[in-house]
Amino acid sequence: MEILPALGQGFGVALEPQNLLLALIGCFAGTVIGALPGIGPTNGIAILIPLAFSLSLSPVAAMILLTSVYYGTMFGGRISSILLNIPGDAPAVMTCLDGYPMARQGRAADALAISAISSFLGGTLATIGLTLSAPLLAQAAIHFGPAEYFALYIMAVVAVSGVGSANPAKMLLSGLVGLALATIGLDPASGVPRYTFDSFELYDGIDFVVAAVGLFAISEFLLFIEQRGSGTEAKRLPVGRIGTAFHRMIYPMVTLRASLLGFIIGVLPGAGATMASFLSYTLEKRISDKEGTFGRGDPRGVAAPEAADNAAAGGNLVPMLTLGIPGSGTTAIMLGMLVTLNIQPGPLLFERQPELVWGLVASLYVSNVILLVLNIPLVGIFARLLTVPPRYLMPVIVVVSFMGVYTVSNSAFDLLLMAAFGVLGYGMRKMGFSLVPMVLGMLLGGPMEQSLRRALQASGGQVSILIASPLSIGLHLTTLGVVVLAIFLEIRRRRRLHRPVAPAEVA
Amino acid sequence: MSDRIAGVALALLAAWYGWTAGEYQIDFADVVGPSAFPQVLAVPIGLLGLYIALRPDPSPGWPSGRHLLGQAMAVGLLVGYALLLVPVGFLPSTTVLAGALALLLGARPGPAAASGVMVSLGCYALFAWVLDLPLPPGALFAGPE
Repeated sequence: MEILPALGQGFGVALEPQNLLLALIGCFAGTVIGALPGIGPTNGIAILIPLAFSLSLSPVAAMILLTSVYYGTMFGGRISSILLNIPGDAPAVMTCLDGYPMARQGRAADALAISAISSFLGGTLATIGLTLSAPLLAQAAIHFGPAEYFALYIMAVVAVSGVGSANPAKMLLSGLVGLALATIGLDPASGVPRYTFDSFELYDGIDFVVAAVGLFAISEFLLFIEQRGSGTEAKRLPVGRIGTAFHRMIYPMVTLRASLLGFIIGVLPGAGATMASFLSYTLEKRISDKEGTFGRGDPRGVAAPEAADNAAAGGNLVPMLTLGIPGSGTTAIMLGMLVTLNIQPGPLLFERQPELVWGLVASLYVSNVILLVLNIPLVGIFARLLTVPPRYLMPVIVVVSFMGVYTVSNSAFDLLLMAAFGVLGYGMRKMGFSLVPMVLGMLLGGPMEQSLRRALQASGGQVSILIASPLSIGLHLTTLGVVVLAIFLEIRRRRRLHRPVAPAEVA
Repeated sequence: MSDRIAGVALALLAAWYGWTAGEYQIDFADVVGPSAFPQVLAVPIGLLGLYIALRPDPSPGWPSGRHLLGQAMAVGLLVGYALLLVPVGFLPSTTVLAGALALLLGARPGPAAASGVMVSLGCYALFAWVLDLPLPPGALFAGPE
C-alpha cells in the first residue's frame, strides 16, 4: 500500500468527530497527568485503560485516546520541571536543569513556550519517521510463521530485560515470572486448568489490566507514602509573560539533532524517553555549550531534551505497531489493551487492520497540533493544578484505579488481586526488579506458548523447526547478542560494585 | 539480604512451578502438551533465582517505623475497600477511603474529611453521569438484591 493515500484515509478516521474529541480529552488528560509529579505516563495510561474498555470504545478510538494521553504526558512533564524544579515524569528530569533557572530569572513563560514548540517539533518529526519506517518494517510480515513469532517473542522479552543500568538477572527474572504468570488459567489448546488452585476466578487467568494497574499505580502510591516528608515543600514560580519573539523561540538545529537521536533511541527496545532526553541534553551540551551557559538557564538546554523525549515517544510506537513488541512500559500497556480487544499486534497488523494503524498514525499528527495549541495559551491552568497538594491527589488516583478495574470486572476478587499486585510491584521496585519486563511477559506468554506449540505441531515434534529459517536464526542470534551484552555489562557492574574503595575516596 | 531471600524464594517457586506442570496431562495426541512450556520456563527462573541468591545486590533501605506503619495501614484500607465496595456501595466506602488516605498522607482531619466527600462525589459524578458506568449502589441505597 502506498503511504500517502493510506495516510489520507487515516486522517479520515482521525478527524471523525468522536475521535477528534477523544484526542482532545486525551491530550488534556495527558498534559495534566504528565504535569503532576507522582503520576507518570505509565501510571496514567494504566489507570485509563480500564476506562477505555468500560466505555466500549472501538480499538482505533481507544488507541487514539491512549496515544494522545501518551504524547500529552511528554508535553506535561516539562511544566513542573520548569516551575517547581520537580520533574513531572521521569523523562522531564533534564528539563529541570535549564528550565528552572530560566523560571527563576523570570523567563518561565519563555521556557514553557520554547519547550512546547520543541516538543511539538520533536513529536511531529518522530511521527513522520513512524509514517515512513513502519510500513517498511511491517513488510517482513509475510515471512513470519509460528517459529519466527516464537523467536520474536523471546527476543522481545530478552531485549526489554537485557540492557540497562539495573541488574540484568533481575530484569530477566521479572520477564520470566511474567511469562509464568501468563500460564495461569485454562490452557487454551487443551482446556486443562493450570495453577488455578481450583479457584473459579483464576480460570480465565490473571487479567492483564488488573495486574498492570496494580503494579504501576498502586505501587506508586505505596512508594509515595514512604518518600513523604523526605523532600521539602516545593514553591511554584509564577508563569509570567512571554518575552521573546516567536521566531526566536525555535532552535531548528538543536531540535533536529535531538529529535533524530530521540527517535532512534525510542525505536530500540528497552531504551525509552528518559534515556533519550538524557543523551540529547548531554550531546547538545557538548556541541553548543561554548560559553558555559548550560545549567544556568540556556534555552537550548530546554529545547533539546523536550524534543528528544517527544520524539522517543513516537519512536517507541514503531516496534509496537510493526512487530507487536513494546519497547517501554507505556507501549506494553497499550499493546495489552489491543490484545484484550482481540487484535493481534504484530507484523500483520498493517495488512489486517489498516484503518486502525493509519487512523492512529494520523491522529498522532492531530494530537501534536492539539497539544501545541493547548499548551501555549492554557499553560497557566495546568500550572495552577500543581498547587494542589499530592495528599489530596493521590487518593483520587487510587479511587480511579479501583473504579477502572471494578467497571471492567465487577469482582471483588480482581480488586484484591490488584492490591496484591500493588504490594508486589512496590517490593519489585525497591529491589530493582523492573516492572516492564513482567508486564510484557504476562502479555506475550500466551502467544509465545501458542506459537511454540503450533510450530512443533507442524514439524511433528522436531525441535529443529525453531531454527529452520534465516529469519528465526537471525532473531535468535540477536537475542543471543543481547544476552552476551547483558552478561558483559553485569560483570562490569559487579566489578564497580565490589571495587575496593581507595583511601582518598573514603576521606 | 533481601536478594538472598527473594532468590531462594524464586528458586523454590520455580521448582514447584515446574514440578506441578508435570501433572498436567491430556489423553489426546498433542505433540507439546500443557506441561512443556511451564517446565521450560522453570529452568531459567530457578537458575537466575539461585544466581541472585548467591551474588546479591546490596539491600535497599526498607521503610521502618512511621512509614512502614503508614504503608501497612494503606494496604489495609485498600483491602477493606475491595471487600466492602460492593456490599456498602460506592459513595460511603469511597468517602471513607479517600478521607482516610488523605489523613494518612498528612492532611489534617477537617480537610481530609472534606476531600473524602469531594473525591467520592466528584468521582461518582464523573463515572456514573458523564461516563455512564455502573457503580455499586450498595445495600444502603438499593436495598438487598
